[in-house]
Amino acid sequence: MQSLSIAATGMMAQQLNVEVISNNIANMSTSGFKRQRAEFQDLLYQNLRRVGTNSSDAGTIVPAGVQVGLGVKTAAVNRIMTQGNLDNTENKLDIAIQGRGYFRVELPSGEDAYTRAGSFQISADGQLVTADGYTLAPGINIPPEAIDVTISRDGQVQVTLQGETASQVVGQIELATFANDAGLDPLGNNLFTETTASGAPTIGTPANDGVGSVLQGFLETSNVNAVSEITTLITAQRAYEMNAKVITASDEMMSVTTNIK
Amino acid sequence: MENALLIGLSRQMAMARDMATIANNIANVNTTAFKSETMMFEQYLKTDASELSPDKRITFVQDVGQYRNMRDGALQTTGNPFDVAITGEGFFRIETANGVRYTRNGNFYLNNEGQLVTSAGDFVLTDAGAPIAFARDETGITIARDGTISTDQGRRGRLAIVTFGNPQDMKKTGDSLFETAQQEVPAQNIRLVQGALEGSNVNPILEMTNMIEVTRSYASAQKLIDQADQMRRQAIQQLGTPAA
Repeated sequence: MQSLSIAATGMMAQQLNVEVISNNIANMSTSGFKRQRAEFQDLLYQNLRRVGTNSSDAGTIVPAGVQVGLGVKTAAVNRIMTQGNLDNTENKLDIAIQGRGYFRVELPSGEDAYTRAGSFQISADGQLVTADGYTLAPGINIPPEAIDVTISRDGQVQVTLQGETASQVVGQIELATFANDAGLDPLGNNLFTETTASGAPTIGTPANDGVGSVLQGFLETSNVNAVSEITTLITAQRAYEMNAKVITASDEMMSVTTNIK
Repeated sequence: MENALLIGLSRQMAMARDMATIANNIANVNTTAFKSETMMFEQYLKTDASELSPDKRITFVQDVGQYRNMRDGALQTTGNPFDVAITGEGFFRIETANGVRYTRNGNFYLNNEGQLVTSAGDFVLTDAGAPIAFARDETGITIARDGTISTDQGRRGRLAIVTFGNPQDMKKTGDSLFETAQQEVPAQNIRLVQGALEGSNVNPILEMTNMIEVTRSYASAQKLIDQADQMRRQAIQQLGTPAA
C-alpha cells in the first residue's frame, strides 16, 4: 500500500512543523530572536496515465491523466526577519537595531559572528562585549573613568569623563548587512555566521545606505507572535492526526487483503 | 466464473490508487498552494467471451484521470516581505534547470546575489522574462497588487503572472511546480498579496469521508472475491464428487 508511506511522509512533516513551532515558543523572550516557519512542498509524482498523450490514432489526447503523488517534504525552514518590538530597558549598554543589520562580534576562535541581540557589557579591560564575553568588532574601549556613555542613532559612541564637560568620541558601531538574511547559519547563543547562501557581509554605518539605526537603552524582543504560533500548532497537530488516520485506514485495507483465503 | 474475481480485482486496484491520492492530499494538508486531486473512474465495457449470450456484458473499473481542484487555498499571513500569494487565477513563472515551470507557491527568498528565487534557488521571472535582483542598499521592497515591484529607489519591474487555457492539463512535477506545453497567456485580473502565502486547498472533512468510503468499498470488493471463490469451491466439491 503506497498510502502507508505517503501518510508517513505527512506525519514526519507535521512532526517537524511542531518542532519548529515549539522552538519559536521556547524563544518567545529571547532578545533578537527571529521566528522560523517550516515550508512544505509536494514530493514527486508517478505518472500512471500521462496527461497529453494520444488516446487514439485520430490524434485525440488524454485531457487529464492519472498522477499519484508520493507525499510531502520539507522545502525549507525559513527565518522570518521582521522587526521585533523594542523593549525599553534603560540600560546604557543595551542597543537595539531598528531596520536591517547585525552587530559583528569576534568569536574566541578569531572568526566573525553576527548578532542582533544587543545586550552588551564592559569587560575587565574596558572592551564592549556580548553577554558571552565575545568582543564587539571593531572594538570599542570605554575608559574606566567614564561616568556616562551615549550612543547616537548612527552608532557613534561618546563618553563623558569624570570632571570634564565635553564628551569625547571613543568609537563607532558598525553594522553588517547580507543579501539574504535567511541564509545565515545559526550558531545558537543568538549568533549567526555567514554562508554561501547569505553572501558576504557588507559593513556599513548605522542609519546610512539602507542600514538600520541603533537605539541606546532598548533591546529588540523576539518577533514570535504567540497567537499565530498557537494556531499553527493546532493545524499541525490536527494534520498529524489525520495522517495517522490514513495509516489506520490503509492498514485496515491491507488486513482485508490478508484475509483472502 | 473468473470474471467475478477479475472485476473485483480491478475494483480493488483502482481503490488502492484512489487511497494513494487521498493519502497524498492529506499529507499535503499544510503544503503551500497545494491543489487537491480527485480520482475519476469509468467502466471498461467488455462483451462476454461467449458469443451465444450477447446480452451479458461485464464492466471492469478503470481510473481514467484525475480532477484537480483549482479553488484558491486560504491566505495565511506570514509577515515575510518576499512571500507573495496569488488570489484568483494565475501562476508565477520560474526558471529551473529543466526549463520554465509554473507555480502558485510564492514563498520567495533573496539569494546571495540579491536575486529573487524560490526555496529551491530557481529564479522568479518578471514579465520581461528575466530574473530580478536587488542592490544591497535597497530597502522597502514592496510588491503591488498587480505584481509591480518597487523599492525606495523606484520601480524595479513586474512579476510575470500567467494563466493557461486548461489548468487540468498541467503536470505536477513535485516541489509545488507545474509543467505544461500549453501557450501561456498573461493574466488579466492579477491580485497579489504581499506578506502572505496561499494555503493548501485540501478539505480535510471531504478527504476523511472519502477515505472511509474507499476503505469500505475495498472491503466489499473483497467480499465479492470471497464469495466467488466459495462458489467455485462448492462447484468443484459437488461436481467433482463421483455419483454413488
